[in-house]
Amino acid sequence: MSVGIRAVGAYAPRFRVTAEAFEEAWGSFDAPGVETKAVPDADEDALTMGYEAATRALDAAEVAPEEVDFLAFASTTPPLAEEDLTVRLGSLLGVESDATRHVFTGSTRAGTRALAAALDAGPERGLVVVADCPRGEPHDAREHAAGAGAAAFVVGPEAPLRVTERVEHADAYPGTRFRRTGEERVGSIDAGVYDRNAFVRPLAAAVEDIEVGDLDAAAIQMPDGKLPYRAAGAMGLDNGTVHAGGTVSTLGDTGAASVPLGLASALSEGAERLLAVSWGSGAGADAFLLAAEGEVPVSLALDGDEEVSYAEYLRLRGEITAEEPDGGGAYVSVPTWHRSLPQRHRLVAGRCPECGTYTFPPEGACRGCDTLVEFEEVALSGDGTVEAQTEIGKGGAPPEFAELQSRSGAFGVAIVAFDAPDGGEATAPAMVVGDAAVGDRVEATQRRIYTQEGVTRYGFKVRRAE
Amino acid sequence: MTDAYVVGAGQSDYGAFPDESYRSLFATAYEDALDSVPDGMDPDRIDEAVVGTLGVGGRQLGLPGPAVTEHVGLHGVPTTRVENACAASGYAVRQAVQAVKSGMADVVLAGGVEVMNDASGDAVRYWLGVSGETEWERLSGTTFSGVYAQMASAHMREYGTTVEQLSHAAVKSHENGAKNPHAQLGFECTLEDAVNAPTVADPLTLYHCCPTSDGAAAVLVVSEDVVEEFTDDPIRVAGVGASSDRVGLFQRETYTNVPASRRAGEGAYEMAGMSADDVDFAEVHDCFSIAELAAYEDLGFCEQGKAGEFVESGATRLDGDLPVNTSGGLKSKGHPIGATGAGQVVEVFEQLSGHAGERQLNDPRVGLTHNVGGSGGAAVVHLFEREEVAR
Repeated sequence: MSVGIRAVGAYAPRFRVTAEAFEEAWGSFDAPGVETKAVPDADEDALTMGYEAATRALDAAEVAPEEVDFLAFASTTPPLAEEDLTVRLGSLLGVESDATRHVFTGSTRAGTRALAAALDAGPERGLVVVADCPRGEPHDAREHAAGAGAAAFVVGPEAPLRVTERVEHADAYPGTRFRRTGEERVGSIDAGVYDRNAFVRPLAAAVEDIEVGDLDAAAIQMPDGKLPYRAAGAMGLDNGTVHAGGTVSTLGDTGAASVPLGLASALSEGAERLLAVSWGSGAGADAFLLAAEGEVPVSLALDGDEEVSYAEYLRLRGEITAEEPDGGGAYVSVPTWHRSLPQRHRLVAGRCPECGTYTFPPEGACRGCDTLVEFEEVALSGDGTVEAQTEIGKGGAPPEFAELQSRSGAFGVAIVAFDAPDGGEATAPAMVVGDAAVGDRVEATQRRIYTQEGVTRYGFKVRRAE
Repeated sequence: MTDAYVVGAGQSDYGAFPDESYRSLFATAYEDALDSVPDGMDPDRIDEAVVGTLGVGGRQLGLPGPAVTEHVGLHGVPTTRVENACAASGYAVRQAVQAVKSGMADVVLAGGVEVMNDASGDAVRYWLGVSGETEWERLSGTTFSGVYAQMASAHMREYGTTVEQLSHAAVKSHENGAKNPHAQLGFECTLEDAVNAPTVADPLTLYHCCPTSDGAAAVLVVSEDVVEEFTDDPIRVAGVGASSDRVGLFQRETYTNVPASRRAGEGAYEMAGMSADDVDFAEVHDCFSIAELAAYEDLGFCEQGKAGEFVESGATRLDGDLPVNTSGGLKSKGHPIGATGAGQVVEVFEQLSGHAGERQLNDPRVGLTHNVGGSGGAAVVHLFEREEVAR
């Protein structure tokens, strides 16, 4: 039996910067159709955003991470150019070690390429995670448009959302949206009509052979808020259909996640017949015609509500921030960190077989009875209550966190009593995303802790429960 | 088991001394201690030395003990370095008492030293972080002030303690420190100053936090067999208690108090046959104001949860029922980590021997010192008693 999409999750960072803020700073704003855009927090990247979208998709599908047998991660902005990031993503999520893994990058088509690969592989419970946070030069149109977000699809048989047609098309257009090896920022030769043709023609060609019929929504690659409509015109689609599949006006250009996010957004609005057409520089295009044959579970978290000024935006982007100072003294080595990954990534605590007390991390003597026992390992849900907290002001953080604090300012630090399955609890310290006071309920999420020796440590932080 | 006595104690000024080394600071304290012995002390009589230090900002991690004792001419004297973070020299004094009580030594020098002001702020933060729980607590972004701020937030939530009450501890300590010529921050402050100062780690303001200090302290502990050679007014070590705990606050049974302090206090009271009611004054570990309030409760000076009201009542001022931190405490006098515990004994020695100058209490008999390592991973309490009968 062919596979389809069982559920969709999506996530965007909570910060927003407005077009007006750019206009004040630059005298103009070069991303037409973008009203606000999502800005990643200082400790967010494509991997952590992907984690957020993936947990939502898995929850919506009611699939446990350990049931996932196929994991794909797609991004034009992977935190590392060389490393199979599905390994870390799988560890953060709790995917088993023997799942099939694929990474897709190098083009804004990467998201739909990953989805196509999953459909072809026919997994029982596949997970496709697409996350992106592109960047340009501060002054150029690509940076003005650059947003951030992630979408994830659970793929498998007997799915309510079927892909009824798939076409791809490639047509060589060098010089249109490229990123040179070793650089973080996207460039372009900005050749006007050539650029537009490079965008519109492959998309139109991909759709040409599809019987589109009536559509509720069309998610078309969104490098800004204007080009998808220009492409739609060439495809014979009306503006309302494109608008129904759009997220660019609120999230900005989300790169490889743009079409997946458009799909997720349209599905959450009840769209049943959808067209998804992605574009990748070079240039190539993927077109998918999708039909819902039942309710598609969707879990979105796209409504960021914390507006930042342009100066704060620059700080969060790391344009004007300090780096970690030279230090010495305390140092947690990568092997030491590695030893604690089950705790950092999945909050694995230990239950004492003698007295039932939980100890986190599960090593050494039991915190309840001081006995050296063999702990039963139990993964905590990540929900908990703040028992003690503080806010570390600017300049007061441990040196490992100097860069983070320089970018995002003061941060909260709490001691959290995490709920254990049988009514017990396990306490652990955690950085707070946003703010939380003593007594508040919080939930764990995965963020960047810090980067040292070029190695980013990912681990749990907490935020106030929704 | 023989009794142990303190016959001399001295210290350097506390502060920032770019022209001094850790050796020269220790020498100042050592000479001051020798000079304080009523009938004199020949350095040749010193059998043993114990030196507390966190490692002088990482520059002398190995053998810092012998490095300072050979510098003052104690060539060949067995010297041990003790490191228990901020309780380093409190434990050095305890070890000196153990050496004397065991009969292995008759005269032991216990001291401590730290130089913290000649490193960059970043390097100091790196270095201070090693005394907390490093893998989890520090890497959640917490600093020492952050851990104590968490204790304060829990204490406020549980007992209604206020920022004003924390500030009363600071105001009182500055009042005392202004009378101490060795104090680093020897100025007075108002309640408004303390409440309105910049936040270091919410809810703690700058005035709720001790400074970064250079300094040294030294104490001479002798056995009852030889005490008469040095003084007619000996000060007996009546009780010693010590305890350890989990290094990370999140690993402990309570966030509002320091269980190690409580156990150490109980041990000292039991050994001395005393209770908190017998204590005339105390030097407690107030690296942050919440630490002082927690100490009141842990050492039995007031009921659990009542420390805020206790300090607000003025009970711990110089003219109160139970003066605390007559020296100015870590808050005003300063906190040169390795020297702090021995420095507390210096204050008790001066008070009990009537040499505390402007801050001299009226005829105190029993003084207590309370020294905490980290946020409570180690604690040591001593009770000192002025002998009733002159020898």
